[in-house]
Amino acid sequence: MDDLLQEFLAETAESLAVLDVELVRFERESSDATILSNIFRLMHTIKGTCGFLGLPRLGAVAHAGENILGKFRDGELEVTPLAVTLILKAIDQIRVLLAEMETTGIEPAGSDAGLIDEINAVASGGAPAAAAAPAQEISMDGPHFSDAGFPVAAELLVEVAHALKHETAAAEPVFEAPVAEPVHAPEPVRAPEAARAPEAAATSRDSEAKEPNTANSSIRVNVDVIENLMTLISELVLTRNQLLQMQRGQKDNEFKVPLQRLSHITSDLQDGVTRMRMQPIGNAWNKLPRIVRDLAVSTGKKIELNMQGAETELDRQVLEMIKDPLTHMVRNSADHGIEDGIQRLAAGKPETGTIALDAYHESGHIFIRIADDGKGLDLERIRAKAIANGLTTEAAIAGMSEQQILQFIFRPGFSTAEKVTSVSGRGVGMDVVRTNIERIGGTIELSSVAGKGTTFLIKIPLTLAIVSALIVEANKQRFAIPQLNVVELVGVSDRSEARIETINTSPVLRLRDRLLPLVSLRGVLGLEQGTKNTDRFVIVAHVGASTFGIIVDRVFDTEEIVVKPVAPLLRGTPFYVGNTILGDGSVIMILDPNGLSQAAGQIEGADQAAAQGKGGRAGLLGGDQASFLLFRTAGSELKAIPLELVARIEGLEAASIEHVGGRHVVQYRDHLMPLVPFDDSHQWKETGQQEILVFSDNGRSMGLAVDEVVDIVRDRMAIELNSARPGLLGSAIIAGKAVDIVDIGHFLTQAFNDWFEITNQQSLARHALLVDDSPFFRNLVAPLLTSANWKVTTATDGVEALKLREAGHQFDVIISDIEMPNLDGLELASAIRNDPRWNKVPLIALSSHAEEGDIDAGRQAGFDEYLAKSDQTRLTENLARVLRMAGRGETNDNMRRAS
Amino acid sequence: MSPLCLIVDDSRVIRRMAADILKGLGLRTAEAEHGGKAVEFCRTTVPDMVLLDWNMPEMDGITCLRELRAMNLEPRPVVVMCTTENGMSKIREALEAGADEYIMKPYDQSVLLDKLMQVGLVEQA
Repeated sequence: MDDLLQEFLAETAESLAVLDVELVRFERESSDATILSNIFRLMHTIKGTCGFLGLPRLGAVAHAGENILGKFRDGELEVTPLAVTLILKAIDQIRVLLAEMETTGIEPAGSDAGLIDEINAVASGGAPAAAAAPAQEISMDGPHFSDAGFPVAAELLVEVAHALKHETAAAEPVFEAPVAEPVHAPEPVRAPEAARAPEAAATSRDSEAKEPNTANSSIRVNVDVIENLMTLISELVLTRNQLLQMQRGQKDNEFKVPLQRLSHITSDLQDGVTRMRMQPIGNAWNKLPRIVRDLAVSTGKKIELNMQGAETELDRQVLEMIKDPLTHMVRNSADHGIEDGIQRLAAGKPETGTIALDAYHESGHIFIRIADDGKGLDLERIRAKAIANGLTTEAAIAGMSEQQILQFIFRPGFSTAEKVTSVSGRGVGMDVVRTNIERIGGTIELSSVAGKGTTFLIKIPLTLAIVSALIVEANKQRFAIPQLNVVELVGVSDRSEARIETINTSPVLRLRDRLLPLVSLRGVLGLEQGTKNTDRFVIVAHVGASTFGIIVDRVFDTEEIVVKPVAPLLRGTPFYVGNTILGDGSVIMILDPNGLSQAAGQIEGADQAAAQGKGGRAGLLGGDQASFLLFRTAGSELKAIPLELVARIEGLEAASIEHVGGRHVVQYRDHLMPLVPFDDSHQWKETGQQEILVFSDNGRSMGLAVDEVVDIVRDRMAIELNSARPGLLGSAIIAGKAVDIVDIGHFLTQAFNDWFEITNQQSLARHALLVDDSPFFRNLVAPLLTSANWKVTTATDGVEALKLREAGHQFDVIISDIEMPNLDGLELASAIRNDPRWNKVPLIALSSHAEEGDIDAGRQAGFDEYLAKSDQTRLTENLARVLRMAGRGETNDNMRRAS
Repeated sequence: MSPLCLIVDDSRVIRRMAADILKGLGLRTAEAEHGGKAVEFCRTTVPDMVLLDWNMPEMDGITCLRELRAMNLEPRPVVVMCTTENGMSKIREALEAGADEYIMKPYDQSVLLDKLMQVGLVEQA
């Protein structure tokens, strides 16, 4: 594209941004002559420049805008919202045209006659009728008319022409315009003219003449140049770090002093370039007055936008990232936060609502506050919505504090707006806002007082390119953790006060009377577990509202690192934000604390723990939780079943249930599905809905008829065994209530033994041995096996299992616990592998210890597969997968490979 | 040395455009983005000609013109007012304030060349 045209696009875009802001100001303070003359001048300049470049269409729109502004200035026209809206429309149209020019390089053909007529009609004091009344009053010496500016000699003629056909005057292509030709065309579609523009502009010829220094004290630099410079500085910082690293091990020598100087200069240079990248946050705010103004007009509210600290500077990369979130939040405040005038007056508040934007620097961060004095967030609605959208349960939300409930607005799939208005509801929710802010290492806090208003506080780092990071080591590999997220370091060992404890297989750290959930870097990154060294470090990290610990082997010092984007190959993993080169030249990964915390499932866990309000030990230990479905049957007591086992919950029409041969069945997905009542006292309904829990496996399903599905809750599995009654495993305390845990295996056999007798005969040929000393797990796993059509034999320890071998039993798969009395799982595995009778049988370990070398030990002992008990979902999945392979009689080798 | 022309305009585009034309005609150029900057410039370097826009922020063209004339620069620069304000009263105002010529915006090379010849900065062809 023509340089000059590009320059024009940039300059005009800047002018338009200022115009937007100034116009909104002007509407409020329409008596301020300075604002008006500034607006007039900007519009005038745009028009004038269009004249130079031969951009008739753009010039015509600008001219119409200037015309009406001129009337304001001369006091001929009263400033009305309608008129301002029209000028804003003109600005928008100019933007549209500019955008097109930016891609095509030429002024788009076409006409804006409609808009121009509308503006002219208002300018001449009329209503914005579709067709403009000819503005005959424009006289020969009027200030707003012959600005198409022809060469002086031609002026008189042109003016005559104008007087005849003035309304097209502004649309004239103004470069070398022959006087006679143009004025007739009512629609100045002039492609040839437009095409000539670059040519006309390209009158430049290189001149040898030397230019004296310009009066400008600032220059414009292409963003790429600065970005490139930043990259070079980054490399320089790396090289400096490298040199410092080399020097560190040495005695004082002649390099020391120059190296120190180099180090200082590099730091200064880095600061300088960082400052160069800084832009005032006001750049991201430019559009806001306009947005708020338009919103206020369209919703009939009165809203004032106060902006403070617009000059506060931050890195342009950061600025880009927060632009949209800020816009969204201000839009939200205006749309949902601020009430309309009547409501406000009724609530004893001033009729005009206020949205205050405030930005300031503090301790290496920039803070942005967005506050409105509206009605505040509606807790009830958030609560209802969170439940309706399945984000939480009534039981869980009952114990939550206000602050915790408010946090739901940041959850994906949540939107407080009851109806989607034209303004909000654009698919950007507060969850995206939070994600964007957290991605750049920022945090967002929220406070809301009913009837008083809502305040958001955003805290973001000043720059992203070079960050301070803590270098840590796990399994002899080094990683960087952004210092921003690090709260403190704790050295732990068996001898020290701070110790890593294990509660239900989840590691925790007791730190100043708080239980801190931990995630092991080795575990999470799948590094070798290595020897059990108890002297380790816990990095206490803070992400959003959650705090957790990262277990590492060693901690080095902090270093200024240059963030390089993570390679595309690794982009799928949530644990890394990028990589960097250390002073010693090694390339290391930068960890993403956000990803780590999510991997540990801690954020939710912590919320819930706090919600339970009683220390919430269970909640803090995310790992050992399971979801339970609570329901009622004929009896009034609550029943529970692990949610993983339930395929679907269906409400069936009672009328659709058929009674065939003493059994209840229903047509379900083209098959007959047997229905089993929970117990004999079950009353089959004649009409209405029958709630059915559907259990599926291998394409077959059965339905368990229940009276009412009550809730789904997450809790720790704490069963107190007591299975006197068939169909029940025992009772447990779940979500604070005593419930019966249902043994689905019981019902599966009821449904399938008779119904699918032939299938069963065939499948029962597959026989599993389940070895576990815990009755609870035997009772949990056996139904899973049964439902997968396995015949199950159980043994309580290794000795009992081997007795079955002596008795000549054969199995298709053996599933064993590791920790058992008498003969443990590892010993059992060795015994099985070292005897020809069972040594071909697939062997699956099922253990609560699935780390720290346990898995390796298990494999060495002869297990083909090692599954963790603590992870319910994966246990079910993996077991199903392994069983399918075992069922097909695949060899151990295949299984090994597949796992 | 070829004559030096100071271009005073708040639009970068127009400044560059004018500079291109003037350089094409063999002049040297300097730029100022408003009247104040122009006055400042003239304190150290006296140009042969000032191409002065009317409508500018900070200090507009007519004020700038008055200030320049009040400085009694030696040698006296030729001032050409550029404007879209073509009312007779405006032109008169400019001439009374000490402008030597005025030129309508937008102008092009030939128009500018005419003016330069009129004020004697470029030889008649």
